Amino acid sequence: MRATRERATPKSTQGVAKIVARCDRGGNKIRIAGGETLNGMGHAPERVDVTLSTVGLTGIAANERTDLVISVRAGTPIANLTSLLASQGQFVPFDAPQPQYATLGGTLAAGWLGPRRHLYGRPRDFLIGTTIVLADGTIARAGGMVVKNVAGYDMSRLYVGSFGTLGVLTQANLKTIPRPTHARLFLAPLPERTRERACTQLSALRVPPSAAFVIEGFHHAIDGDEGPEGRLLLLLEGSAALIERATLELRSALGRAGVPETRIVDAGAREAFERVVDAYVASLGERSVTYRLYPLAREAPSSASQMHGLAQSFELRGETIADLMNGDVVLRVSDLDSHAFGSKIENFDEALHAMMPAAQVVASNHPHRANLRVWGTPPAAIDRMRALKARFDPNRTLNPGCFVGGM
Amino acid sequence: MLRERLIEALGSDAVKTAPEDLAVYAFDAYLDGGRPSAVTLPRSTRDVCAIVKIARDCGEPIVARGAGTGLCGGAVPKVGGVVLSFARMNRVLEFDERHRRARVQPGLVNLDLTRHAASSGLFYAPDPSSQQISSLGGNIATNAGGPHCLSYGTTVNHVLGLEVVDANGEVFTTALDDAGYDLTAAMVGSEGTLGIVTSAWLRLLALPESVRVGVAAFDDIDAASEAVSAIIAAGILPTALEMMDDVITAAVEAAFHAGYPTEAAAVLLIENAGFEEDVGASEAAIQAIVTRHGARSWRSARNQAERDVLWAGRKSAAGATGRIAPNYYTQDVCVPRSRLPQALRAVGAASRANGITVGNVFHAGDGNLHPLLMYDRRDEKQVAAVVATGNEILQTAIDLGGTISGEHGIGWEKRDAMTRIYSTDDLATMARVRDVFDPARMLNPEKIFPRGVQCAEVVPP
Repeated sequence: MRATRERATPKSTQGVAKIVARCDRGGNKIRIAGGETLNGMGHAPERVDVTLSTVGLTGIAANERTDLVISVRAGTPIANLTSLLASQGQFVPFDAPQPQYATLGGTLAAGWLGPRRHLYGRPRDFLIGTTIVLADGTIARAGGMVVKNVAGYDMSRLYVGSFGTLGVLTQANLKTIPRPTHARLFLAPLPERTRERACTQLSALRVPPSAAFVIEGFHHAIDGDEGPEGRLLLLLEGSAALIERATLELRSALGRAGVPETRIVDAGAREAFERVVDAYVASLGERSVTYRLYPLAREAPSSASQMHGLAQSFELRGETIADLMNGDVVLRVSDLDSHAFGSKIENFDEALHAMMPAAQVVASNHPHRANLRVWGTPPAAIDRMRALKARFDPNRTLNPGCFVGGM
Repeated sequence: MLRERLIEALGSDAVKTAPEDLAVYAFDAYLDGGRPSAVTLPRSTRDVCAIVKIARDCGEPIVARGAGTGLCGGAVPKVGGVVLSFARMNRVLEFDERHRRARVQPGLVNLDLTRHAASSGLFYAPDPSSQQISSLGGNIATNAGGPHCLSYGTTVNHVLGLEVVDANGEVFTTALDDAGYDLTAAMVGSEGTLGIVTSAWLRLLALPESVRVGVAAFDDIDAASEAVSAIIAAGILPTALEMMDDVITAAVEAAFHAGYPTEAAAVLLIENAGFEEDVGASEAAIQAIVTRHGARSWRSARNQAERDVLWAGRKSAAGATGRIAPNYYTQDVCVPRSRLPQALRAVGAASRANGITVGNVFHAGDGNLHPLLMYDRRDEKQVAAVVATGNEILQTAIDLGGTISGEHGIGWEKRDAMTRIYSTDDLATMARVRDVFDPARMLNPEKIFPRGVQCAEVVPP
């Protein structure tokens, strides 16, 4: 193993291919880095000889705005792409944390799932074409620049969520949709006694919100330092007329549930929503670990309260975000004292997985991370996944050991 | 040996080997057929596993088959083998209204799922024109589309998880929210070459509260296609945006009296569905654009019955062309939506040059063309002219930056055209996935991959 680690920032797909092929031949291991915003996901690589940064691969390769499709280089920050699309009245709902740093390639490779997917679809469903560099340096393209395409296997979707272990994404073609013209945020305290009724009422809304969260904790990340312990945060998007109707409907639903007071925010609604998404991976250094679980939508609040209970029994602080529309629950456990935290986290991890085997770690830079079940219990088809990895990257050159089951 | 073992495992009523029975399963909706060694009608996943194992032991390939409505020969046993028909696995296994999903068997007819869900206020969004007969397993195998995938997405957007029987007869499952690789996405659209889907969790959507359907009529097809490009360029995505030319509307009106204006050169069928507050505004914006592009008339359906009959006409359009010629061949290509006018002009030119009558009925909002080329199969000259025209249209789509199949699949028909849009490296990368799931190439062989890019040795391991 080399003593000094190399960092490479290629500016083209060919440049990536050269570096990857050289490493693969020489037995060197590559860590692929985008904006480093999701470094707390997955295992740390077993070994790193070269860090391959994609941030040199930036910019728009083709902006076919009248076709509602765009081709973007993988190192482009999500925020740049989002603001370009917004200027054209378009969008793709990535909902990535820290979008000013998060890259398109990293967001896709991590399989990031945002809170608005129940309404607009998953990032994978906007991906119509890809360019990827395989471990042996092969440059492969899939799909194209049209919105419907069934020519061959859907390789692009296969790369989404593959964590860089099948290849290095260098370019992605996306279809876009019209950007909702208006947004409105609802904020309400949600005392324990109103929670169940409120969730029932919300699930029966005729006009679904584009995001709805029950949040406990995360005050610093989301509201500044103040705020009630349990609160509801809800985003409406669409035409002005639809939002007016949804507002009336929502007010009466929350009234029926006995929710005391509701604050409406129009200016800055999307920014407040983005702060919630940022909180998904907001870490307290060596004092916290954040988990994410994907129960069915209606089970999110009860999963969140179970997780709270468990954290309490370990005398850990538990903070949760329950996504009522998709069913995700984010749990951050922490302790004021990093030493005390370190002594509890492994046992907590074991107890959590005994209760919720699929829970994944999404934010941790704790030294004990290697001992946590960061991907949860391996999925049913893990053997086939291993075979796929072996066929694409037989020398385990790309992000070795980072992915599910140590792939 | 094969026959005996299959009968032993499944019972004699689930195995067919008589020549007249085999003939029924020799074809799908494509021109050429094949010749199966045996046809099986499994009743359960266990049956499917048994069939695959027996076929493997006997060295017979497996060709899974839904309703046989595929247009590209995907279900044709080109090199023989055991056909596995899902006609008897056609039930809704679980219906979860609360979480808006259902688990179905692959032989269930697409429309039957929507019918099943209707009383809960739900529907299954992908709606290929064949939805009254095509099966969900076949829809999954081809990643089927349909008019409404403009807004709702194709089949892959609606599959939540799969149960699959692999090439060794072993079962595995996939789920969209599982950690690890998205094997669900790998399976959908793989045309039976990576595994055999034996059940699927499918996503259901809430029925929209308001639906408006309008028909815009144009004096020439150029203006109609320019209007489509303009609607998309304005950032408006209706729920469905379909085009029919006068060849089609004449046939549809003669057969069904659906209410399309026959004096127009082309019509657009436009649906806006969603919330009352939005559909009116969306329809008004579209109406303004089509008027600016020279639409001679606009008619909105007044009620559900009128909407239904317009859609029934659209979805039966291909069948209605029987009045024009004994046979038709449907090409399926997709182009960037801004290039629709050029694409349609090229379709017209190619048909005229080859002396073929063409009718256009297609998913205009997606840029997904379906020129129907009319001919008489008994006339070799006409067959040759149709093949030439289809090929020219294929090349036009490629030249305009499009693709060789928007929603029907590659199957047997278009396998060699794959090299026109993908490099050897691109195809070899796809073949790596095949190497993992079907290294011996026993699942639906001779499909998708062009001759020469099907073997593992293309990419040294």
